[in-house]
Amino acid sequence: MSGQARLAVCSVVATLAAACALLPLVDRPGWIVQAALLLSIQTAVGALARRVPLRRWLTVALQALAALLLLTLVFAQQQAVGGLLPGPDVFREFGQLLQEGADDVGRYAIPAPTTQSLRLLLVGGVLAVGLAVDALAVTFRSAAPAGLPLLALYSIGAGLGRGGGHWLWFLAAAAGYLLLLLAEGRDRLTRWGRVLGGGRPGDAGRPPAAVRTGRRIGAVALGIALAVPAALPSIDEGLLQAHGAGDGPGGDGGTISAVNPLVSLQNSLNQPENREVLRYRTSSDNTQDLYLRIVALDWFDGSSWRASERRVTDVPDPLPTPAGLSPAVRTDPVNTSVAAAGTYGQTYLPMPYPAERVLVGGQWRYEPEGRALVGDHGQSTRGLRYQVSSLLVEPTAAQLATAPAPPEQLLRAYTRVPASLPGVVAQTARTVTAGAANAYQQAVKLQDWFSANGGFRYDTQVQTGGGSNAIVRFLEEKQGFCVHFAFSMAAMARTLGIPARVAVGFTPGTPQPDGSVSVGSKDAHAWPELYFEGAGWTRFEPTPTRGSQPEYSLGRAPTTDGPGAPAPLPSHAGAPSAAPSAGDACPPQERRLGACRAQVLGADADGGGGGPLPLTTAVVVAAALAALVLPVVPPLWRRRVRARRLRRGTLAAWREMTDSAWDYGIPPDESRTPRNTAARIVRTAGLDAAAAEAAVRLATAVEQTLYAPDPRPVGDPAADAERVRAGLHATAPRSVRLRAALAPRSAARLRWGLAARLATVPARLRRAPSGALGAPPAVAGGGTARPAPTGPQVDAPPHGSGAQPRVPRLRVRRGCSRSSPRP
Amino acid sequence: MTTYDERAGLGELSATADRIRRSVETVIEGKPEVVRLSLTVLLAEGHLLIEDVPGVGKTMLAKALARSVDCSVRRIQFTPDLLPSDITGVSVYDQQRQEFEFKPGAVFAQIVIGDEINRASPKTQSALLESMEEQQVTVDGHTYELPAPFMVVATQNPVEMEGTYPLPEAQRDRFMARVSMGYPSPEAELRMLDVHGGPSPLDDLQPVAHAHEIVKLTEAVRAVHVAEPVRRYAVDLVAATRQHPELRLGASPRATLHLLRAAKAAAALAGREFALPDDVQSLAVAVLAHRLLPSAQAQLNRRTAEQVVLDILQRTPVPDPFGQQPPGARRV
Repeated sequence: MSGQARLAVCSVVATLAAACALLPLVDRPGWIVQAALLLSIQTAVGALARRVPLRRWLTVALQALAALLLLTLVFAQQQAVGGLLPGPDVFREFGQLLQEGADDVGRYAIPAPTTQSLRLLLVGGVLAVGLAVDALAVTFRSAAPAGLPLLALYSIGAGLGRGGGHWLWFLAAAAGYLLLLLAEGRDRLTRWGRVLGGGRPGDAGRPPAAVRTGRRIGAVALGIALAVPAALPSIDEGLLQAHGAGDGPGGDGGTISAVNPLVSLQNSLNQPENREVLRYRTSSDNTQDLYLRIVALDWFDGSSWRASERRVTDVPDPLPTPAGLSPAVRTDPVNTSVAAAGTYGQTYLPMPYPAERVLVGGQWRYEPEGRALVGDHGQSTRGLRYQVSSLLVEPTAAQLATAPAPPEQLLRAYTRVPASLPGVVAQTARTVTAGAANAYQQAVKLQDWFSANGGFRYDTQVQTGGGSNAIVRFLEEKQGFCVHFAFSMAAMARTLGIPARVAVGFTPGTPQPDGSVSVGSKDAHAWPELYFEGAGWTRFEPTPTRGSQPEYSLGRAPTTDGPGAPAPLPSHAGAPSAAPSAGDACPPQERRLGACRAQVLGADADGGGGGPLPLTTAVVVAAALAALVLPVVPPLWRRRVRARRLRRGTLAAWREMTDSAWDYGIPPDESRTPRNTAARIVRTAGLDAAAAEAAVRLATAVEQTLYAPDPRPVGDPAADAERVRAGLHATAPRSVRLRAALAPRSAARLRWGLAARLATVPARLRRAPSGALGAPPAVAGGGTARPAPTGPQVDAPPHGSGAQPRVPRLRVRRGCSRSSPRP
Repeated sequence: MTTYDERAGLGELSATADRIRRSVETVIEGKPEVVRLSLTVLLAEGHLLIEDVPGVGKTMLAKALARSVDCSVRRIQFTPDLLPSDITGVSVYDQQRQEFEFKPGAVFAQIVIGDEINRASPKTQSALLESMEEQQVTVDGHTYELPAPFMVVATQNPVEMEGTYPLPEAQRDRFMARVSMGYPSPEAELRMLDVHGGPSPLDDLQPVAHAHEIVKLTEAVRAVHVAEPVRRYAVDLVAATRQHPELRLGASPRATLHLLRAAKAAAALAGREFALPDDVQSLAVAVLAHRLLPSAQAQLNRRTAEQVVLDILQRTPVPDPFGQQPPGARRV
């Protein structure tokens, strides 16, 4: 394959690898196959155009044209002239599709359904990036800037994917880019002639040394890029920075995105099967009210609710007292031990509200405002077991009715509605709650209106529309599911001046024969929480046929203007899940009598919370330590070696001098004799007279030691070595000095030593065949390079006397500065 | 172990060599390296091949060297019709005494100047083989010893020149070193015009050293110490020529021997009682290049044997004093 063809193929691979980051955005991955096909055709067109050869910009234009034709063929064939050529209709269609795509992006949570418009966005985007990469890397022959479009592609996936994307996607994207760089480097190298370093008989099939080195560097860089961020402490992580739901393999439909639950909730509810996500045992006999809350959405933008970005802290023990809860209100402590399914990866911890104490393993952080626990560093609930001590808050209707005004700040924050909210919402709220004497009665009237007398129908098949009209549409069509009910009721409560937010989580689930309660994906739920001073955030249940309405919200209080109290709704009756909830199995009346004794906490042998510290923590700690320690190893090692060498006589001092020169940028050249080496150091570094004399004296001492029959001492080798080092330091520019101090080049010997030691291990184990031993130094094929000893270095030294393995040598400046140029 | 006497010998050697060098340099202007190499070969008991285009002073160098030493000198002009017996000598039947009498050939001298050696046929050239290696001549079953010191200084034109035969490999291998004179610098050439304008400067040349002095000096050279790393380095270099892909024929073990002997002489000339890798490096091209045969590919690439030797010098590590501690080395 020619260099250019290889580059083109690599650019396709790199683009597709980066495009993998978009895979989690939609529910079906099929589009990437389509994109790969179209991209290949587009690249092939480019390759042909380059072969002609056309002018560069003409090549790019031709490719763009090809991309347009392909997109027309795939997405707008009906509108095309002759079924192929893009006419005005095609562009209109594209415009429409793009507009829809933009709407869909805003409308759907991730993963979004793969609509035609989203597919066009994805495939078209990949083609555009592919064109840019191909143009930069192949047509204009500079692969490095091609990283920018690739980065853009990856960033879209990572940015939209909530939480920076999975590391696997990063790995794919980065590896693709490295592949591109490697191909370009290789191409550039081959333009100088044959790639050197191969040619040894044993090397058949092995890539050239340059390529191997490149690969090694790439692998190390990737490893560092993955390991270092994991080791960095992330403090004060905002809620939204937490990892999104459903990361990692598995990708089950039963996960809930707490960030934008609108669609995923619906997806969960529309799952054909009700997959178990949680199973818990509780000490409470009132499982009917044991909603498992994940997160509170407090930011209302007129069309949907989101969680505000809030500071998180370490999990306090116990958690602070719930806001606004007064001792006058009756509370029952409840202990719950929960086991999450291995397929349920949620970064918020589902807990009964309000939790007082949580026993959970792993890295969890506490968001005080919403009283939610957020997983840190990708911590999720997958397979987690934990225990929660919570309160069952049971205010009476009278207490709620006579609740004092909430604190000013809270009132302001939680009654805020955007100006864009259509007036009809507030108007409807006022109409529905007409005649209510207080906030409590307003809330009860709202709940009743939604759940009973408003004519609303629960339907999970409803298309979730976006925009500010979503609530209005829901109020008109009166069809929707929990999200619509919760959103609308909370919004309307806010317009009435009642602090409100939306909680997302699970309804209590289905009791099992063994006493535990199983929570399935269809129990996913959203409900409004209204704030009453004294009781704190209080759950309401506007969704008909789902969950259970709390006792206090049934309006049975002796109020002056009591509404027609609707009968308590049997929970789940007719719900799509059709799963009998706790309410069915154990009506409140029976529970009060103690006839329905809940299983004591921990009856299940496995019911303990908090697993062992995960392996990832250990790995992260080790990586952090390594990241801290590794950079200081070379300078420390160098310092120690220097001190040792200066004590050990002439040869060690000589080595110290050559290594010092290396540290200061004069690499060792082993084909030079001592006096030649000294002369080179003096000349290259421009040493002053004293240092130069010291260098020459040291070389003479080495000659005496090595070659003279009766060596006589020459000067003080250690002092001379130090003098030369001082001279090198004095003449070196600042950057070189810094490098010599912090990252001495000669520390490479440390690596060689380790490599040589490692390499002898298998050799010793294998009892290497004699062929590998005592082999004379082979001269490389083509006579262009002496083979650098690589890999297991068991060759005996060419001189054949030493038994110890030879340290891989650095062949610096070989063939570049001193060898004569080759034709 | 070097003794005091031998060290004294080194001083004497330096002085004598210096005299010869200065004497030769009165004739050969501006070529100190060539003169030094010639002296090195003389002291290392080797034979010298001077190769260059006609007219650059090859014969002048040979004659100057011979004249500077007080010893027997014979000159052989190699011509295509020269016979081996002209060189070695011939047995002639003496009718009076009724027996064969040996008439020594031109080789029977202490310094033999073989002028334009590659103009004789290889058969004739080969007549020198035995004398050069074994310092003896065998004719008709009788072996005649040659006097010491014995040195052949041959000149030749490059093979590409017309009317030349290439020297056989065996013959080339017997020459310790080959030097090229090279053209003189313009200044040297100007001075030469002054000097050579009158009577030949060779005529004024007086011997500055006696033959027995040279023998003594060669003995001092033999005593020069060569440490194990230096020997290893020489072996490495020669071994590298045998594996170099650009060479069809590498250097022989005799080349290793010559290289080390020359290195000793160079060390002695520098007043050192031990040889250095530097000595080996400085002599490698002169000692090795003429023995090597570049491969066809290398010839196509116009790579000369000299370039290959330089290449090998750049690629062969000087024995690492650190990886393995040489057995003989002591710490100071």
